[in-house]
Amino acid sequence: MEQIGMFPLFYFPEIGSAWIMGITGTIHILASHTSVGAALLFAFLAHKAYKEDRTDLYEYMKKYGMFLLIFSYVVGSITGPGIWYTATAASPRGISALIHNFVWVWATEWVFFVFEVVGVFALVYFINKIDRKTHLKLTYSFALASVGTLFLIIGIISFMMWPGNDAFYQTGSVSDAFFGLTTFPHLFLRVGFMIMMSGVIGMIIASALSNKELKIELIRKMGVISFIGGFITLISFMWYMTTLPDNAKLLLEIYMADMIRDKVILIVVFSIYFAIAILKPLFINRAFAITMLFVVAIFGLWPGEKLRESIRKPYVVGQYVYSNQIMGREVPGKNIKNEVEIIAKHGLLKTNVWIPERLKTITETNKLEVGKLLTKIACSNCHSLEKTGKFRPLLDKFKGQDKDMIKSFLEYSLATGAIPYMPRIDLPDEEFDAIATWIANQNKEN
Amino acid sequence: MNADILNLLRDPAGVPFYPIVFQGLYILTWALHALFVFLSIGSLGLSLYGTYKQKEDETWKVITPHLIQTGKLSVSLLIVLGVAPLLFTQVIYDPNWYTINTLSGLWVVIFIYTLLVGYSMYYWYYYANKKGSSSSKLIGVISFCLLVFAGLLMHVFSVQSIQPEKWMQWYAPNGVVDTSGLTFNPENIRFLFLMSLSIPAIGLFLQNYSDFLQSTKKLSIELLERVKNLGRKISTFGFFINLVLFLAWTFQINKMADIYTILIVVFTVIMLFISNKMNNSYFSSILFIVFLLAISGFREYLRFNIMNNLGYNVYDYPLNIEWASVSMFILTFLSLGGIGVTFIGTMAWKVGKSDGYFDASKDKAVTFMANSLLWILSSWCVVYFAWGFFVLFKNSL
Repeated sequence: MEQIGMFPLFYFPEIGSAWIMGITGTIHILASHTSVGAALLFAFLAHKAYKEDRTDLYEYMKKYGMFLLIFSYVVGSITGPGIWYTATAASPRGISALIHNFVWVWATEWVFFVFEVVGVFALVYFINKIDRKTHLKLTYSFALASVGTLFLIIGIISFMMWPGNDAFYQTGSVSDAFFGLTTFPHLFLRVGFMIMMSGVIGMIIASALSNKELKIELIRKMGVISFIGGFITLISFMWYMTTLPDNAKLLLEIYMADMIRDKVILIVVFSIYFAIAILKPLFINRAFAITMLFVVAIFGLWPGEKLRESIRKPYVVGQYVYSNQIMGREVPGKNIKNEVEIIAKHGLLKTNVWIPERLKTITETNKLEVGKLLTKIACSNCHSLEKTGKFRPLLDKFKGQDKDMIKSFLEYSLATGAIPYMPRIDLPDEEFDAIATWIANQNKEN
Repeated sequence: MNADILNLLRDPAGVPFYPIVFQGLYILTWALHALFVFLSIGSLGLSLYGTYKQKEDETWKVITPHLIQTGKLSVSLLIVLGVAPLLFTQVIYDPNWYTINTLSGLWVVIFIYTLLVGYSMYYWYYYANKKGSSSSKLIGVISFCLLVFAGLLMHVFSVQSIQPEKWMQWYAPNGVVDTSGLTFNPENIRFLFLMSLSIPAIGLFLQNYSDFLQSTKKLSIELLERVKNLGRKISTFGFFINLVLFLAWTFQINKMADIYTILIVVFTVIMLFISNKMNNSYFSSILFIVFLLAISGFREYLRFNIMNNLGYNVYDYPLNIEWASVSMFILTFLSLGGIGVTFIGTMAWKVGKSDGYFDASKDKAVTFMANSLLWILSSWCVVYFAWGFFVLFKNSL
């Protein structure tokens, strides 16, 4: 009998394993975007300091550099592999698909990464220890290398949404996967955000300077830089939205009203903040600047990343790997088979190699246990299963329904793929029955 | 786990290049990663001793901050270098990698945050020691424990991944599925052996430190001689401990009579004498890197044999060669990797050898590398966009 290469399941109660990845991801994005943005800002400041012979700017750069080193590179370099690691635990076949497509792209990014990590120490510690012209060349190289890491990762994370055309599915080529429809708008969206973040961080450093004139000059400059970055982000975001797949657009409609409201509030708040920096720079003190950094992280980044994660559903990679590890379509270019039909024919219990022998056949005594396990395998990547679950709680969706009603939903909606943002999960009757029995039983106990 | 299941767990997309290349890159990058793991643990560990001695002892007063600084840089390098072996291993040993990442999923999450807190505390330790704060010792000890614990977790993932026969028992003990991700089965002697490599690493580093600074006259010759002698003692002691633990480990896994084991035993004995007698410590350190390559190869030799005996042969992995991206990697590795790292390394060496200022603009080789680097990176960006727009237009218009 045909079996499929699924991996064991890791499930984090209440919030789900996908949220763990989301939390690590948000921390990483804050740090990594700050570091790339700061590298660009560093190059700009070094250029200015060299051309105008401004020794005071070198002092600022040294302080900024230490912050950059500690915050961005310590946090960024650990949480970067951290996302990858936690994503592996949550979606092993999704990450495997990415690795087996893009290993050389990642390896190339690693070369940039090595240069960056060695470079950031050199950049900070070599100030006043090597001549300024060579130091300037080092800052330019560092900025270009930092942007290079973005250029590389962006193709991979854009592919996670979708390649945007049929070419990749037929050829299996990395080029077709990497340079998809969303890649460039996504790239400019991130570049804009990085520029904005460099200004936001720059204000934290500048606000602590004791030299008043320099403080005013730099806070103003950071205000302008943040404005420019924010504007690029906004325009690119709108462009990016036009390139999304239909299932994402459908999901977006659900979130649209809230999203527009939140974005408008953020735009207004940050426009005022940047305007204050330009017009009344001395109003910006360190506490205020740090608070605004957290506002960006909590109200800008976290919902943004959550949204990107949500609208990708039912897939986690390239519109062919479902969130529950099952291959949801054929990819002839990579010899990948659609596994939905195999599961429909034989069931998850027989095709998943990690099911213990005693649970492979459903009996009256193990039915609830099997039902729970099947629900976990099929649904827990997107839903928490506890009564008190925080992450799209599954039991809430069936509140007040008896076993037959639940089973009808499974057979007529889930099995046919009628809901575009949910994977098509077609199981034999006894397996649906076990799932429906477990859900109904849980709700009854509730 | 039988061969059919192990092969079923392979990614259906196949591997994008010859498996032996990934295997070679794995061995190479693991050795480089391990070098900085051992250097960081060794320097952090020794610096903790230094914090107790630095008030009354001139030698420790000088070397303790330098040890802390060395450890700090090494942690950064071990992280960045550690990404590569993780990348290459999951291409050819994906059944092992992904199974363990799910079976120990919660530990995987704990690993990331342990490393994050441990390294952040290291910076705290650095600044606390700089200020002469009395709390620096405690902060340093906590940071050290967290980093060693992160190492233990990584070790657990590795040893679990080469025991496929136990995976099912760990996932569903007595047939009851456990999705908590809390599988944790260390192999103590192996871990102790690996950790003990930190001792010769820091011993050799102290010898290098002494040799490097001899010519700069920044520190007195007597002090540098004391440091070198200390380095000799530590490395000799370290290699002896390595030998004992390596023999214990190979005895435990029934590999004591293996030819590869004998080779490493001989190598360890040679290292023991060289690190003690050889005056040129740079040569000893280069040999130590070769020694780590041998250890890395031994780990892979064990894994390959275990998996091959179960019917999983990495060389049989279906090929789906991807020339465009492999070319990008090779060109970037040679150009940016080669020139970029040499450029910064050369400057670091010359700054260290100078009296605090190095005019790189007067150095032809450094200036050439700086200019080349800018050309390489600019050209790389141009190629990226040209390639990207060509592909996009080809597929969309």
